[in-house]
Amino acid sequence: MTPRYTTLMASLPPLGGLFEARSPAISRLKLERRLTQLEDDDRRSLDLAISILSQSMRPQDPDGGPSDARLLEETRAFFSEVTNPLLRHLVSHRLDLRTVLAALRRRHRGEVDPPLGQPWGFGPWVATIERHWKEPTFRLEAVFPWIVETARLLEADDLINLERLHFSVIWKEIDRVALGHHFDFEAVMIYLARWSLVERWCSFDAQAATARFRQLVSAGLGTVTEIPAAS
Amino acid sequence: MNDQFSLLVLGWIGIYAPVALGAMGAAIGCTIAGQAAIGAMMEVNSGYGRFVGLSALPSSMSIYGIVVMFILNRPVSPGNAGGLFGIGVLAGVAFLVAAIYQGLCCASAIAGSKSKPEIFGLALAPAAIVEGFAVFAFVFALVAAGGIPAT
Repeated sequence: MTPRYTTLMASLPPLGGLFEARSPAISRLKLERRLTQLEDDDRRSLDLAISILSQSMRPQDPDGGPSDARLLEETRAFFSEVTNPLLRHLVSHRLDLRTVLAALRRRHRGEVDPPLGQPWGFGPWVATIERHWKEPTFRLEAVFPWIVETARLLEADDLINLERLHFSVIWKEIDRVALGHHFDFEAVMIYLARWSLVERWCSFDAQAATARFRQLVSAGLGTVTEIPAAS
Repeated sequence: MNDQFSLLVLGWIGIYAPVALGAMGAAIGCTIAGQAAIGAMMEVNSGYGRFVGLSALPSSMSIYGIVVMFILNRPVSPGNAGGLFGIGVLAGVAFLVAAIYQGLCCASAIAGSKSKPEIFGLALAPAAIVEGFAVFAFVFALVAAGGIPAT
């Protein structure tokens, strides 16, 4: 009946809305320091989940092998080891979303046939997607209502709004499962899931600003080099 | 003989239950709220005193338990043991549960008001409402205790 992580949760600042903050309310370093209050088993479960969910942030596969195959292997290990239902749900929801996005992207880049026999997705919807590969939304619009809008944005190459939609879907799911969790391990998970979204969204903005800055610098330097040398 | 002894034991349990269960609940509730107060103090630079003060709110349940125990305290006999047991145990359980949930309310109030100090007063309302239910249990335990035979 007693919550285990009251001190930890009370020491974390509110995150606000997903697209509101220009930077996360708490830095990664400070958050890591606070998370030392976690018990070893909980820390291990969280690390496993983070290892799977942060795959897309890794620029290269450290093992040098096929990334999808390794991700699937890690995912199977996660589901065989972690028993917490909420953590399993959060991970499986993210993987379902990634599987659908992967399928839409593969088809968008011209793959006319499903990638049968390849380790390209995870979860109960892989077979359905492969079966209905030629359908615009793989006949999954009843299960995932956001798939229609996702497919439309992908077709329009509107990647910023696609990413925004993707983040909103995850945020809403976190809101749904957060009900009733305030000071327990689930509350810590939910906070971390929200924080990672805010942190990633803020870093996307920073990356875009850096890219834009470089583009402007290159354009400026280009103009300078076009000036003919004085004779 | 055994039946009579069992009845007397139940009567004594009823007398001591309010203070024991109330103290257990207060300990748990104060622990929950106290942990939240410590967490909040890690995040803010002032207002520590009100967090610690708020974390002591569930301790009132043990006081209610003590008062009910004094009211119930009398020579236990087969005639009054059942009444003592019923009122004492149920009042104690009410104090126990109220103290734990009040601790959770206090923890939420502390966590919420650390970043928005202006909601501190309003954030106390849930804890005050839980206190109100405990007062109901307390007052009506006193009223009902008036009907238990003295011996």
